[in-house]
Amino acid sequence: MPTYKITYFNFRGRAELARLIFAAAGVPYEDLRIEMSRWPVEYKDQCPFGQLPLLEVDGKVLAQSKTIARYLAREFNLAGKDSREQALADMILDHYADIMNEMKVLWLESDAEKKATLLQKFKTETLSKHLGYLETILRQNSGGGGFIVGDSLTWADLMVVDSNDWLGVMFPNPYDNFPLLAGLVKRVREMPQVAEWIAKRPDTPR
Amino acid sequence: MPNYKLVYFPGRGRAEVSRLIFKAAGVPFEDVRINTANGEWPGETKAKCPFGQMPVLFVDDKVLAQSKAIGRYLAREFNLAGKTNWDQARADMILDQFEDIGTEIYKFMFEKDAAKKAELSEKFNSETLPRHLGYLENLLKENNGGTGFFVGDSLTWADLALANAYDHLGGTDAPFANSPLLAGLIKRIRATPSVAEWISTRPQTPF
Repeated sequence: MPTYKITYFNFRGRAELARLIFAAAGVPYEDLRIEMSRWPVEYKDQCPFGQLPLLEVDGKVLAQSKTIARYLAREFNLAGKDSREQALADMILDHYADIMNEMKVLWLESDAEKKATLLQKFKTETLSKHLGYLETILRQNSGGGGFIVGDSLTWADLMVVDSNDWLGVMFPNPYDNFPLLAGLVKRVREMPQVAEWIAKRPDTPR
Repeated sequence: MPNYKLVYFPGRGRAEVSRLIFKAAGVPFEDVRINTANGEWPGETKAKCPFGQMPVLFVDDKVLAQSKAIGRYLAREFNLAGKTNWDQARADMILDQFEDIGTEIYKFMFEKDAAKKAELSEKFNSETLPRHLGYLENLLKENNGGTGFFVGDSLTWADLALANAYDHLGGTDAPFANSPLLAGLIKRIRATPSVAEWISTRPQTPF
């Protein structure tokens, strides 16, 4: 087995999906969390695009959080059983990335009152629509009582679990109106290796 | 061989990498272009799209959404994704980088305030883009000196994405003045017969 190391800040952020994949797969890795003060000086030069997270596999580096997560998912047979399942998982990943990009714009709004209005509008109009698409995809997969892609755990299910946390930073209980997704989050969070990680991981604001 | 149908607006936009993959692989596909002007979009099409957006890819009767997921699926099907899991990840990484560059462009592309748009555009062209291209030039150089392909020793969709970025960045050599290896790779890929033929015969569109 190769030696794995993830370098990121002390947040869940853009590294948590990879960490959840390691946990679900039961594969050990070095979970390096660096202080903001040591960035960029000490680490930026190692990074292909000057950014974190970084994955090292026996010293060879990969950048870009989505690529890192997909690489690990494929290595640990959590990517999907065939090419179409892998594409469906990729599709779900890209959809969550789109949601995150739209939320970033709101995050940057400095006027507190304006921000509150924008967040409320986003939640009821945009986010509701985006999560609705995912609820439909889940339902279309054999009624939605199992996994979101195929008939076994994939990184797509871990994306849903992770999203519950990062959506939750701005929108508490984001899946309250989406029973199938909420059920999936609960089921996967209760899987032993995932539950163990969630219980022991550093408690960070995001 | 399945029946492929790619559905998008009449433009290169987020569908062109997939079109280039089909062309480079020599695989026929139905290149459907949906017009907003005459109500074709949203029309009946939007409801067929998993996230209400295009492009979508139909493989026989099964649909896929999200341009990068579609591109990666096709690249894998046609052996243009990379020969090993590691190589595939290196290609994915480069595609993610192009996505980040695209995100930066969208910041000013739709900006309505003319002065603000000019300011953002200037920042992009003088600081952001050179920085991103610098990273990509280094990555290319790391691959056996950079006179071949982005990943491994054969064409992958990462090379096609670069050739496509040339058009999105204005269709001139200017942005690549300080990235000779990237400029060389772009030239080689765009001169490949299947790609060259597509570039010269495809519909000419503003985006």
